[in-house]
Amino acid sequence: MTSLASLQIVIFFGLLLLITKPFGSYMTRVFAGERTALHRGLGWLERGTYRALGIDPNQNMKWTTYAVAMLMFSLVSMLFSYAALRLQAFLPLNPQHFGAKQMSADLAFNTAASFTSNTNWQSYSPELTVSYFSNMVSLAIHNWASAAVGIAIAIAVIRGFASKNLNGIGNFWADVVRCTIYVLLPIAFLGALAFIALGVPQNFDAYTVAETLEGATQTIAQGPVASQEIIKQLGTNGGGFFNANSAHPFENPSPLSNLFTLVLIWSIPAAITYTFGKMVGNTKQGWSIFGAMAALALVGMIVCTSAEQAGTPHLAHAQIETVATATQPGGNMEGKEVRFGIAASALFATVTTGASCGAVNAMHDSFTPIGGLVPLFNMLIGEVIFGGVGAGLYGMLMFAVLAVFIAGLMVGRTPEYLGKKIEKFEVQMAMLAMLILCASVLGFTALSSVIHLPKEGALAALNTWPGSAYGASDSVYGAATGNLNNSGPHGFSEIFYTYASGTGNNGSAFAGITANTPWYNTTIGFAMLIGRFAMIVPLLAMAGALAKKNLVPASSGTFPTDTATFATLLVGIVVIVGALTYFPGLALGPIVEHFKMQALATL
Amino acid sequence: MTDLFFIAVALGFFGLSIAYVYGCERLRSPAPTAPITGGNHD
Repeated sequence: MTSLASLQIVIFFGLLLLITKPFGSYMTRVFAGERTALHRGLGWLERGTYRALGIDPNQNMKWTTYAVAMLMFSLVSMLFSYAALRLQAFLPLNPQHFGAKQMSADLAFNTAASFTSNTNWQSYSPELTVSYFSNMVSLAIHNWASAAVGIAIAIAVIRGFASKNLNGIGNFWADVVRCTIYVLLPIAFLGALAFIALGVPQNFDAYTVAETLEGATQTIAQGPVASQEIIKQLGTNGGGFFNANSAHPFENPSPLSNLFTLVLIWSIPAAITYTFGKMVGNTKQGWSIFGAMAALALVGMIVCTSAEQAGTPHLAHAQIETVATATQPGGNMEGKEVRFGIAASALFATVTTGASCGAVNAMHDSFTPIGGLVPLFNMLIGEVIFGGVGAGLYGMLMFAVLAVFIAGLMVGRTPEYLGKKIEKFEVQMAMLAMLILCASVLGFTALSSVIHLPKEGALAALNTWPGSAYGASDSVYGAATGNLNNSGPHGFSEIFYTYASGTGNNGSAFAGITANTPWYNTTIGFAMLIGRFAMIVPLLAMAGALAKKNLVPASSGTFPTDTATFATLLVGIVVIVGALTYFPGLALGPIVEHFKMQALATL
Repeated sequence: MTDLFFIAVALGFFGLSIAYVYGCERLRSPAPTAPITGGNHD
């Protein structure tokens, strides 16, 4: 690692630490319904929303009511997006005249599922597929709504630990409204202005056609980018306005905008750990979770940056300079923006996959095998390294329950966490949430690695759905592996990464895979829905059960969970569970690719 | 027709999710079993 790379990591963590406590305290007050400085200007909007929608914010919902409200809200918004995408030809703000031809039925299903689940996986090129209306209404609405839902769920789960003898875990509608108005809206407004100042465009113009110096014609896509960019990063959504995502100079013009983006991605996930500590009455509990997340993050950053900086033996064999000098970056620069270089690209990759963001400023497919393994592993362990907004915390609390359970097994006493006895049902729910993610990632990866879509018969219907722009294309027939750019272990990694990203609601792609086919659109769509909702339900059930319990006073036998020892145990559980579950897959993909690369270099 | 298929898929998924909610709740508090009657109570 170069000193510049180390300095970037230090500055990034310094900024993150600076905002964690004040932002976390602010969110605690917002979700407790207390007055903040912003209530003077925005209180009318909150009250008006409650009145217009008939919401009683003081109604304390039972976990089942909370979960059903969340599911119904997500269903309705998903169907709205599906319809708006398919009907974009008849809707306004469409200067490029995009229609259903660009947005096939399977692609619309995939996209609606993707944005509803906070994944923002994009099987399409946005600037060639979706209108400004689709971008700003049918998709951006989810950038707000899915982020608010994730944060609301985390707050509900925290309430489960924080309250005693209660039948409810809060009010879903009030949590979503408060989050949107007092947390997302003010930051998004100011942040969009900051992005504009940093050089990101914000307009409704048709694409500019320019003549290059060589005399060729170039179409320059543009639009309301800044307003989309801010919520994309703040809400850990990740769906780009342009296909190149944050590698595009209109989305991420400079190293300064890159740093701003990185802090935005982890701002809420980091701050909510402090919110957690405040709500359970011991901020050390929050810092313990923060410490575990930071330790995992730091290891990933060092491994990924070192692997990319070392480059490949092939480059060294070809006598290409792989050591960084004053005039060139050395290492592996394939797929990276020269504006950002190796350090900022590797840092971005670990941040975006630690969170469930999925924005990219470099092509992960071009990383070295070990460099690419880090973002893949970050997603496989459930994106708990700060994680998605809300999702990172409730994912880590799932591991915390397992950690105290395993610690309890080792010493032979009933596990406790935050004064609550962790019993059979809580462990069942935590295991259910975790196993569902594993089943989706491994099941769909295995299926796509072997399935062969025939030209005739029942499965052929998958290729010939009316309305599919790809119905007659040969690329969707035959083996699903035929959609890969690479064969062998790298090709397997492309499939593995795809379903890890979909199930983890990350949305970044390893590229190299043509995912815009009925098979991939449908199966990735399912993976995203399963990864989001089938995980949230058992965690809400766990919160509901915990809320009803009384607090047990700490005794000399209580395992303290606000210490570095617990943070270390938590890191160990996350790594061991991830490694045991996914090692065979990783061995078939990036690990064997690494050894092949080393072996070829010695020839 | 394809649109109807995908709309049905979405409705089916969320319908199953709601059933899943009540399935989890049932697991936490199983329905009380009927009292054992009959037999020899000596």
